[in-house]
Amino acid sequence: MSEPNRSRRQFLTTALTLPIATTSLSGCGRSGGRKIVLRFRNGFTGPDGRTMLRMVQRFNAANPDIEVLMQRMDWATYYNKLFVSGLGGRAPEVFVLQTHAVPRFARARFVRGIDDLTAVPNGLPVADLDSNVFEAVHIGDRHYGVPIDLWPLGMYYNRQLFREAGVVDERGQAKPPTDADGFLDAASKITRRGSGGQTDRWGFVFTNFESNVYTLMLQFGGRFFTPDYSRCVLNDPNNIAALQFGVDLIHRYKVAPPPENYDAWIGFRQGKIGMAFEGIYMLADLQKQKDLDFAGAPVPVLGTEAAVWSGSHNLCLRGDLEGKHLEAAWRFVRFVSDNSLDWAEGGQVPVRRSLRRTPRFETMAVQAQFARQIPYVHYLPRLPFIFEFQTEFGLAVEKALRKRATPSESLAVAESNINRIIERERNAGNPVGEMPV
Amino acid sequence: METEKRKIGIGEVLLLLGAVFFIAPVLLIGITAFKPDSEIVHFNGILPKQVTLGNFREILGNGEEIPIFRWFGNSVFNSTAISLLVVSVSSLAAYAFARLDLPGRKWLFPLIVGTLMVPGQVLLVPVYLILNRLGWLDTPLAIIVPAGGGAFGFFMLHQFFQGIPKDLEEAAELDGCSRWGIFRNVVLPLSRAPLATLAIFTFVGSWNDFLGPLVFLDSVDKYTLPVGVALFQTSYYAEYGLTLAAAVLCTLPVVLAFLIFQRNIIQSIALTGLKD
Amino acid sequence: MNYRRRAGYLAYLFALPFLLLFTTFVILPLIYGLVLGFFRWDMLSPNPARFVALENFREAFADAYFWRALMATVRFVVLAVPLTIVLALSLAVGLNRVPRRRQAFYRAAYYLPTVITISVTGILWRWFYNSEFGLFNASLAPFGIKIPWITDPNWAMPSLVLMTLWWTVGGPMVALLAGLQNISPAYFEAAALDGATGWQSFRSITLPLLRPVLVFVLVLNVIGGFQVFGQVYMITRGGPELSTRTLVQYIYETAFNNYRMGYAAALSWLLFLVIGFFSVIQFRMMRER
Repeated sequence: MSEPNRSRRQFLTTALTLPIATTSLSGCGRSGGRKIVLRFRNGFTGPDGRTMLRMVQRFNAANPDIEVLMQRMDWATYYNKLFVSGLGGRAPEVFVLQTHAVPRFARARFVRGIDDLTAVPNGLPVADLDSNVFEAVHIGDRHYGVPIDLWPLGMYYNRQLFREAGVVDERGQAKPPTDADGFLDAASKITRRGSGGQTDRWGFVFTNFESNVYTLMLQFGGRFFTPDYSRCVLNDPNNIAALQFGVDLIHRYKVAPPPENYDAWIGFRQGKIGMAFEGIYMLADLQKQKDLDFAGAPVPVLGTEAAVWSGSHNLCLRGDLEGKHLEAAWRFVRFVSDNSLDWAEGGQVPVRRSLRRTPRFETMAVQAQFARQIPYVHYLPRLPFIFEFQTEFGLAVEKALRKRATPSESLAVAESNINRIIERERNAGNPVGEMPV
Repeated sequence: METEKRKIGIGEVLLLLGAVFFIAPVLLIGITAFKPDSEIVHFNGILPKQVTLGNFREILGNGEEIPIFRWFGNSVFNSTAISLLVVSVSSLAAYAFARLDLPGRKWLFPLIVGTLMVPGQVLLVPVYLILNRLGWLDTPLAIIVPAGGGAFGFFMLHQFFQGIPKDLEEAAELDGCSRWGIFRNVVLPLSRAPLATLAIFTFVGSWNDFLGPLVFLDSVDKYTLPVGVALFQTSYYAEYGLTLAAAVLCTLPVVLAFLIFQRNIIQSIALTGLKD
Repeated sequence: MNYRRRAGYLAYLFALPFLLLFTTFVILPLIYGLVLGFFRWDMLSPNPARFVALENFREAFADAYFWRALMATVRFVVLAVPLTIVLALSLAVGLNRVPRRRQAFYRAAYYLPTVITISVTGILWRWFYNSEFGLFNASLAPFGIKIPWITDPNWAMPSLVLMTLWWTVGGPMVALLAGLQNISPAYFEAAALDGATGWQSFRSITLPLLRPVLVFVLVLNVIGGFQVFGQVYMITRGGPELSTRTLVQYIYETAFNNYRMGYAAALSWLLFLVIGFFSVIQFRMMRER
């Protein structure tokens, strides 16, 4: 490293950074000119990201006075980034929040209520939205976002495995089960040992502990919190029975392999699993698997009542948005909502009832099947500390499914931990229940 | 080091086996990138049954949604700038501490090295706020400049400088060379190996840095390569084919750069006046 | 004295650019972070940050998850660091004996994994370790072996260590190799003339002369070990059953998922103290020789 090299490098570094520094200090947005720039941030990576990007491009083309810049990253880091950017006053104008995250951000005064925007004549036809979906973002006295879709859990089943196992209807078509008996029957017929002595085909697999077991518990009539969220009641006999059923699937009926975490989904793609409960968002992934003959159906009722885990994406507005930006942002929100059939193509269920009655939606077979469950979908509990709840819940389920603790033991531990968190939050002046904002 | 062993001893056979084990997964990435997604999932067989350029085509041909060349360019620019910055400021500072008797170095040195113990995530939020105040967010400055304050390079070069025999410097001093002259004409040439090593480490480390660029950059077209590539994954699954193809494109330049640098290291060691 | 003062100024002039950047981007944020540990600042509530003195620390000591995370981290360091250093040193010594022409190939081969970014390494090793459909178990299946790589809490940490060895041994190896190559062969020739065996000259010449670099590599490896995050995040996400949730992962979740910035800062303090403690011990041990 001789001297001339080093000083030349130093010079280069300065020479290159100076122009960048000056341009960066000249303010935000590449558009310059008159356009209103809206930053739209979401967690849509993968194929649905590309679907949304195309919608954004269409909006920009149709609205020359607005430019929507889409910024996306994967969900895990998305929320961190959103939060950090809020600290710096750089929060985006429009962003997506999954329903379970809304209480968190609403409480932090990050999100703007939208009722004043929907009330006006040209607002959003809220009556057209599924009421249980819209009410899920109703906190305190206002709604905090516009749901653009629903992603319920549903059953994906491998038609070929069904046919080979003889689980068919009169016409020889694969027949998805609708109740516990049918489910166990199908699962045990499909499970079989391969040539190596190991089971190489399973009737069922747990892909996502949280959604799968949450659904089971709901179906068994379980509860999680007292209605005012003052206490966690996870250690409820119905929850225990539901979790026990899950444990039995693996260890007693032996129709599911020991839990592997979400990579178990690969097995379904490989054609080795008969049934799996996963969200509608997995559809795009499956459609790539050209050699897989699969279909969708509602989750069978394995307990006493029909219920299924679900989530939604909601378009939300930054808390302090106003004036021209507010108006432009609302226009964008309306656009996405009105065009949610395009969005549904990527593997979602639209929540505008009128759009579901169209022939175009009927052609989306899997989405249509999953949509049948809308009347009885349930969201995660409305907690600001939802992530800690998910950690405790996931841990309890995992321990039980791996048979390292009985269902009641693991649920009891989770319940007391969560109650301790509720206590902690209450002492810190953050009451957990419905928050007045 | 002149006992050249022409024949390959047992030791080298072991080295070779080990090297194969180390490279194999990397080659696997490369080979698998040529399979279509549906085949990747089945994981049977190493070689593709159906060789396809589809993954690469989808990544390279889709400038609007996947500006991979931009990402690549950003990474190259950032990492190069960071390397240059770190090597220059660290070598100066390390020399000051190791040989120039910096006043206060007894407590300053442990303090600086001690900050290596602080995990980067802890500094994330405060650095974000500082960068915001400076107006550097969403610009390459946010990625490049903070890296110059890292103690790693300083520590490494300090240790190396300490290991250089003092007689060469003392001789130059007796000859009437200024401190700066000694640094430039004696110490730096002797330190080609560690300096080059530091440059490589810094380049690779910054190339793979994920959290910083993720948080400090907002616009997709300013992303660096790892952050951009992460867009193909969701928390639930990965688009294997695309991710692997992107990985190949991501890794290839670094590997090439390393191979090129390697030759420089060897040359400079050979030219060094260390064997006296 | 004039000379000393001038020398002092000169030294600071040399060090100025670095010290400036260091102060702005390391010390200032650090102070901010440390002070935050004495506050309660939860983004979940509309309440502003509140000074609570040692309350966060009290909570940490009573927090079972904190201790679990600490244990997981220590387990990782104890497994990973010695293995990495020994392997890196052996490889460096081995590479040093190989003729120059071939050396470049080996050096590249062993360093190659290090240049792969973590998101890709994560996918790769998750595939390797999948118990049902992964590559390792698929190769072991004909022998009737099925290892629960990342599904059994007893296996998960060793599996992460194995992956870490592959991913990170290249760095220390390259540094040690550079250090070895800076040792003049005259020393070895003299020792050989005196009849010293390979092992003897290794112990009395190589190791002592390599000491600064070795200290550097060891200290950084320990520090890095305590800060392990990327592999955990990508491969096990802290599971199974939180057995691999290391301290940095726990801090990260506390800050960015639970938004409890004050508590996270206090935990960082504690991590910092733990690392500091081990580093001081290390420095002492190195000096005693």
